[in-house]
Amino acid sequence: MEKHELIILDGAMGTMLQAAGLPVGQIPELWNCTQPETVAAVHRQYVEAGSRVLYANTFGVNRFKAAGCGRSVAELVEGGVRCARMAADGRDVKVALDIGPLGQLLEPLGTLRFEEAYDAFREILVSGERAGADLVIIETMSDLYEVKAAVLAAKENTALPVWVTMTFEASGRTFLGTTVPAMGLTLSGLGVDAMGFNCSLGPEKLLPLAEELSRWTDRPLILKPNAGLPDPATGAYSMTAEDFARKLAPAQELGVSIFGGCCGTTPAFIRALSGSLKAASAPRRAADRHGVCSAARTASFDGVRVIGERINPTGKKRFQQALREADIDCIAALGIEQQDAGAEILDVNVGLPGIDEPAMMRRVVKALQAVTDLPLQIDSSDPAAIEAGLRAVNGKAIVNSVNGKPEVLAAVLPLCKKYGAAVVGLCMDQDGIPQDWQGRCRIAERILDAALSYGIPREDVLIDCLTLTVSAQQEQAAHTLRAVRYVTEELGLRTVLGVSNISFGLPAREQITLSFLTQALHAGLALPILNPNQAATMDAVAAYRVLSGQDRDAEAYIRRFASVPAQERTTAAPGAGMSIKDAIMRGLRQETKGLTGQALEQMSEMDVVDRLLIPALDAVGESYERQEIFLPQLINAANAACEGFELVKERIAQRGGASVSKGKIVLATVRGDIHDIGKNIVRVVLENYGYTVVDLGRDVPAEKVVEAVIRENVRLVGLSALMTTTVASMAETIAAIRESGHDCRIMVGGAVLTPDYAAQIGADYYARDAKQSADIAKQVLG
Amino acid sequence: MEARLTGISRRETLKYLGYAGSPLPEDVLEQLSAGEREILQRAAPRVLWRLFDRGPAGELAGTGYTPAGDDIRDLLRDCDQVILMAATLGMETEALLRRTQASDMARAVILDAAASAAIENVCDNLCADLAEAFAPRCLTDRFSPGYGDMPVSQQAELFRLLDISRRIGISLSESGLMVPQKSVTALIGVSDRPQGRRSRGCEACAMSADCAYRKGGTSCGKT
Repeated sequence: MEKHELIILDGAMGTMLQAAGLPVGQIPELWNCTQPETVAAVHRQYVEAGSRVLYANTFGVNRFKAAGCGRSVAELVEGGVRCARMAADGRDVKVALDIGPLGQLLEPLGTLRFEEAYDAFREILVSGERAGADLVIIETMSDLYEVKAAVLAAKENTALPVWVTMTFEASGRTFLGTTVPAMGLTLSGLGVDAMGFNCSLGPEKLLPLAEELSRWTDRPLILKPNAGLPDPATGAYSMTAEDFARKLAPAQELGVSIFGGCCGTTPAFIRALSGSLKAASAPRRAADRHGVCSAARTASFDGVRVIGERINPTGKKRFQQALREADIDCIAALGIEQQDAGAEILDVNVGLPGIDEPAMMRRVVKALQAVTDLPLQIDSSDPAAIEAGLRAVNGKAIVNSVNGKPEVLAAVLPLCKKYGAAVVGLCMDQDGIPQDWQGRCRIAERILDAALSYGIPREDVLIDCLTLTVSAQQEQAAHTLRAVRYVTEELGLRTVLGVSNISFGLPAREQITLSFLTQALHAGLALPILNPNQAATMDAVAAYRVLSGQDRDAEAYIRRFASVPAQERTTAAPGAGMSIKDAIMRGLRQETKGLTGQALEQMSEMDVVDRLLIPALDAVGESYERQEIFLPQLINAANAACEGFELVKERIAQRGGASVSKGKIVLATVRGDIHDIGKNIVRVVLENYGYTVVDLGRDVPAEKVVEAVIRENVRLVGLSALMTTTVASMAETIAAIRESGHDCRIMVGGAVLTPDYAAQIGADYYARDAKQSADIAKQVLG
Repeated sequence: MEARLTGISRRETLKYLGYAGSPLPEDVLEQLSAGEREILQRAAPRVLWRLFDRGPAGELAGTGYTPAGDDIRDLLRDCDQVILMAATLGMETEALLRRTQASDMARAVILDAAASAAIENVCDNLCADLAEAFAPRCLTDRFSPGYGDMPVSQQAELFRLLDISRRIGISLSESGLMVPQKSVTALIGVSDRPQGRRSRGCEACAMSADCAYRKGGTSCGKT
């Protein structure tokens, strides 16, 4: 279809069918099979009114919403497409397979896995194409991740064009927090053919959003608004067809070219649009904003953006141990810590010999997305791991990296194109790293040409001119800086640089690193990869942003330094005479850490745990039971103790020992239950008592619990259930564990449980609260 | 009618945390204030309601839906109209609560309690606004699925009739749980005569997931 040619879509379907006698409470798609003529008649009314694209009556068809209606997904979809075809055939009218939300919330806020959503969409898409749809419209979406699953399913299983419209609030976000820039960047990258907004708001409120979207994508834009808002007293929409058309007209000046109506619109609205819109919209300006994003946060490429480097096992024993033990929480914590420290993009590297890197990459990406909203940089040399990461990412990622080797370019660039990722090109190839800046720039040019040949846009090509250690190759620092300047100014590309390597092997490394960072930024470095936890480095970036004008009126700089406390606490000076027990009782983390460090100089790790940390926690627990302290204080104390345990773990990891654990416990919130704060409190407390917790999460089916119990060979399992309706699945889970024959104790907890009820469903222990679960663990595991 | 979050009661927050009256150190008080502030800043409350006529058999006219259970029938006995309402603090708060559970559990339990107090405030404000708008007619207390003998499965009917997912972004799981967790749906009767007050009960409370009173076999006394 011509980019700026006016295309009129249709209006609402459900309300039209209700007017034609659809019984309340019946899913409208059933009529595709039982009353196809009535459905086709509605389509014909829209064709008469000027619609050139008909949305088939398939919006609510999917394996979740259509379950139990008596017809299969395939029957409903094929029937729906057939009805629209009846009205379209013989005319210049296309039929769109209409795909709405699945009605189940995806991970991380919900429990539907991305891969399950993909399967559900694939089923609809395959039927829709077979039935003769001309294109796919994915609409009324508020979750960018769900859209991505649907788009990938469409691209990988059909040859149909894909359009997407999402539902926004006036705030510029969807209910799930997706922003307009994130939508534009992500969907352009995934190769969606047209995009825009439907439902949610009336026409005038969608105009500013359309203008914003036009800055982030070059794709044709769609508007299909509601007829205003319904009256709560009657449910009726009050806007007239003429008013609707008049309010949409200005969108043509923004370059929007595809129009229709959503809730509350009728053929009269479509007729009004056909009659009043101009044959061609104004030409679109090229998108002028670029960057990468998560669904909720964008790192635009118009200033310096710090990439946090900490999620990387290289040279980090504790991290390597976390990877080997699949301690995902520990890895996710590094994401939170870096976001708090000011990172704007997170580099994710989980490559370690003996690790299933693609599987680990998928897990870590998902875990990070549950706890931070930073865009991600997938860092691997294994194309399978890169693809696993790119698939799991919600948003637009960066791939780190390719280099000038032809086979690397051929393996990785198609993935970047397919998933719409930006890519880092290292200035090296089969002959190694060129020793002069000219050589590196030639490789940069080759990488750029290769990326363009795969259809990757120029602004998504990022070049790493490579930092070499100045103590070993002193003259190379100048070449790197010169290359950064050339790539920035002559090639017009943004550059990436890991800076800390520069100072390796020298004393007072920070001086060298900071000086190099500052010079690189002034040479044009846009995306420094560094450790954001080093305040001096982030200070240098903050200062650069003032000097370069990115930080207008030095606002961020002033805020940064206004909030530094007059006297920062340090680990070196715990309060005089304070014991570890005092520090833990009062929830003082730094003091606990400092005192633990002192104790470790005189005692073994196990002694510190058994003679200091655990007795302190026991005292806290007793105080909690006497109601001298309440829940937040109990957890504060547990968190303080955690600092001590972490230090112990670090010491043990440093000398290569196995991690210290008092025993392993499997925890799960049972099938059907998705509220799990109680279980999470128990986890934190148990971990801080020194137990290793395998947390299976929420909505966990019985067979998964059994599988984990056997795999981890645990002697204690904790189950939680919140509602009377889900206690049944707790009983099932207990029965399944007993049936497996694995010998273990089961403790249960949750709001509706009582000791009697717990005994009745076969549990060994009832835990009233987190403290009691720790007592039970002690009894069972010691 | 706009969603209004006008304040978080410290007393409520403490109740939800199972506070039993021991002295609170300065740093814990500061944690509580910070948590309440954060919820007030981050919550994006949304409300939705719609009025239905009540038919002779107690059904909501034109919907094919009759609220299930003796308790709701008693509550609506004198009512010729029924308001269905839904309110939520939004996914922003949900994401905040979940993320904080991963990074700082002490903060997470405080935020959770403060958010429970906040959604109660939003519901109270909506009900006050409705009472004003419908005066001189009278409203009953609000009554939620899961309370009394009304099964939680009735949520699905409320979601269908109000189009809750599409209009204000609450998602309903197959087992009848709402995400965001800090969400409330309810029925409110409208009549010409003042209605007696009724307890709403623990099942209808946003905190029922992890209420220390409830587990201790008592209640906070509020409902």
